[in-house]
Amino acid sequence: MPDTPAIAVHDLRKLYGDKAAVDSLNLNVPRGCFFGFLGPNGAGKSTTIRMLTGLVPPSSGSIELLGMPLPDRELEIKQRIGLVPDESLLFDRLTGAEFLEFVGRMYGLPRPVARERAQSLLDLFELREKRKLIAEYSKGMRKRLAMAASLIHHPDLFLMDEPFEGVDAVGARLMKDILLDQVRRGATIFLTSHVLEVVERLCDRVAIIDKGKIVREGSMDELRGGTESLEDVFVRVVGAGREFHELEWLK
Amino acid sequence: MIRAILRAQWLSMRIFRLASGRRGAMFSAIVAVLWYGFWTFLAVVAEELTAARGLRAQIETWLPAGMLGVFAYWQLAPLASATMGASLDLRKLLVYPVPRRSLFLVEILLRIATCAELLLLLTGAAIGLLRNPAFGGWRGLARVPLAVVLFAAFNLMLAAGLRNLIERLLSRKGIREAIALLLMLVGVLPRLLMVTGFGGALWARRMQHVFPTAANPFWPWGAAAHCMLGLSTGVRPVTAAAVLAAWTAAAYLFGRWQFMRGLRFDFQAAQATVASAKARPFAERLYRLPSLVLPDPLCAMVEKELRSLVRTPRFRLVFVMGFSFGLVVWLPMILRGRVTHSAVSGNFLAVVSLYALFLLAQVTYGNAFGFDGSAAQLYFLAPVAIWRALAAKNIAAAIFIFLEIAAVAAACTLLRLGISSGQIGEAFLVTGIAALYLLGIGNLSSVNYPRPMSAQRVSGGGSAGRTQGVLFLLYPVALLPVFLAYLARYAFDNQAVFYAVLACAAALGVAIYWMAMESAVSAARSRREAILAELSRGEGPMLAE
Repeated sequence: MPDTPAIAVHDLRKLYGDKAAVDSLNLNVPRGCFFGFLGPNGAGKSTTIRMLTGLVPPSSGSIELLGMPLPDRELEIKQRIGLVPDESLLFDRLTGAEFLEFVGRMYGLPRPVARERAQSLLDLFELREKRKLIAEYSKGMRKRLAMAASLIHHPDLFLMDEPFEGVDAVGARLMKDILLDQVRRGATIFLTSHVLEVVERLCDRVAIIDKGKIVREGSMDELRGGTESLEDVFVRVVGAGREFHELEWLK
Repeated sequence: MIRAILRAQWLSMRIFRLASGRRGAMFSAIVAVLWYGFWTFLAVVAEELTAARGLRAQIETWLPAGMLGVFAYWQLAPLASATMGASLDLRKLLVYPVPRRSLFLVEILLRIATCAELLLLLTGAAIGLLRNPAFGGWRGLARVPLAVVLFAAFNLMLAAGLRNLIERLLSRKGIREAIALLLMLVGVLPRLLMVTGFGGALWARRMQHVFPTAANPFWPWGAAAHCMLGLSTGVRPVTAAAVLAAWTAAAYLFGRWQFMRGLRFDFQAAQATVASAKARPFAERLYRLPSLVLPDPLCAMVEKELRSLVRTPRFRLVFVMGFSFGLVVWLPMILRGRVTHSAVSGNFLAVVSLYALFLLAQVTYGNAFGFDGSAAQLYFLAPVAIWRALAAKNIAAAIFIFLEIAAVAAACTLLRLGISSGQIGEAFLVTGIAALYLLGIGNLSSVNYPRPMSAQRVSGGGSAGRTQGVLFLLYPVALLPVFLAYLARYAFDNQAVFYAVLACAAALGVAIYWMAMESAVSAARSRREAILAELSRGEGPMLAE
């Protein structure tokens, strides 16, 4: 396994006007790591992932993925990344099989290989209604298909924004098993999720971002300190206990 | 509640406008000034004509026909342009405790946005009549505005009802395209029958009576004209006003009835059966034809476009309209042109093909990422240069453009219109060259003014007004080189000159397409965040065209 980290982010900033969505972010995610990236709503998680994928240009700072600088070697990097973004990247008027084959070919797989992998992924993710258009898929099915699409070209780095959202327990279990298997083979996973139990069970390392800044980072054991749950740590770090009792009319 | 809905819509649009920047807002303003300037000019012309004291007889003859024309434009223009205008997005509003009559009122108000130009025209005519002593002058201050307001209200409510009815009909599987075709044929059939000679004498007689029929004060347009003119022949103005009020009441009941039915209609259920992609080995082979000549990933993207567009109801409707509407609109001219040999009849196929090219803009190249919505991010995430994605979309659009021409040519052959193979080849060539210019413009508008488009709804969530404005303004410019070729043929009466000018136009087209592509790629790189934000954004409580 190469020495360079899977993700090396240095002093990354993203400004929208005067407001910093991401502020002086520094991250080093080692290869083969299952990395959890946590934060409350609007903390800058999705913006960070969008910068890592090249969808959003940073205002300043540098990004290196798999030892290659972004955006200088953008196409090479994209070739080796698997993505499950927060917003749908599925084309509604294709069937699941057609979409997976399309994605495979976009990543340079020959058509027969792309088709074969598409069929096996559809079977694996139990998306067996092969003639059904994606427009008719449920939310969970869409997430499973997005996950399948991220796997088809066998990437080295996965960037996943809320991959388990809307997925039923069986589907989520399958996805977790697949992800763990990917880590075992040496792939790196960078994942955001609001389901802290899942993060606690899967991730080796965690960073918590709040108001665009990293407020905690470390291994799972370091963060929990042996006594707290991840949820306790998270709530304590980002602040909680909003006083809804003050709203008299709500009582 | 109505104010809350309108405010929410205004805020949604304001956010969108801020995001699109000052340049976009300025362009929107220029398009609006040009469009409404044109209609204001027409309104002034109408005012001058109706104010002319010496034209009393002509005004009495022409005003009812003019009102019939206004009625026809008001009701049919949305069909001809394949855009239905703004409407309420009921899926977002039905959850709130808003009285349905309030929703209907907002829907009616929205209709005004689609016909402001006609209100200008009617106002111009009304002012002219008030200035004309031959029709009572300012003594008609109550009568003329009353007729205009009632006629406008009648049209507004009828248009709202028809819009709801048509949208429901067009959302049903299978019958969508047939209904669209039927609606168009119904509009053109009388003219077609007359020109083709089927029942010629009878139809010719009927058409000769179009003016007296339009003037019949028991039709809404006749009653409106009668009331505006203050005529005493046949019925008194007050009776004409009562007739018009009755028509307006009927239109209100119809509009309200259709709106209520629309509230209960399940669009998703109506379209559910459309969604299944059935196993069609023949279609599958067709989709894969590009792989014979194109390498991956370009081919994969072209195939994806072909599959997606064929399964998109809105695209299918516009595609069917592209050849059918053009055909029936221009067909009478070609039939009459057998005698008169006009420029249009001589180049009928090319004219219809160019019309189809323009119509396809809104669902293909004018807003290339529109149907993809947020999924367009895949083009930026995959290891593919963005020019390939644009090129793939252009190739797919070109395939449909040529299919459209083939459909027109086949229809002409079936109708035995005497279209030669040379004319068919010429239509392909001319449209192909014009397409180079329009695809270039379309690429620029796709990255500078992207907007998500609803694939499921036949109307609503169309391409951005600015996109349509760009194409509307630049369409004549894009056709200029081709037009020059025809002009050269006419001037020199020589085919060689025609093809020489076409060759120059093609060379220039390639250069312009190339430059536009480079510019579009550069804009796509620098604006990728804005593009994806635009394509992912939701609408307000109204669906705007």
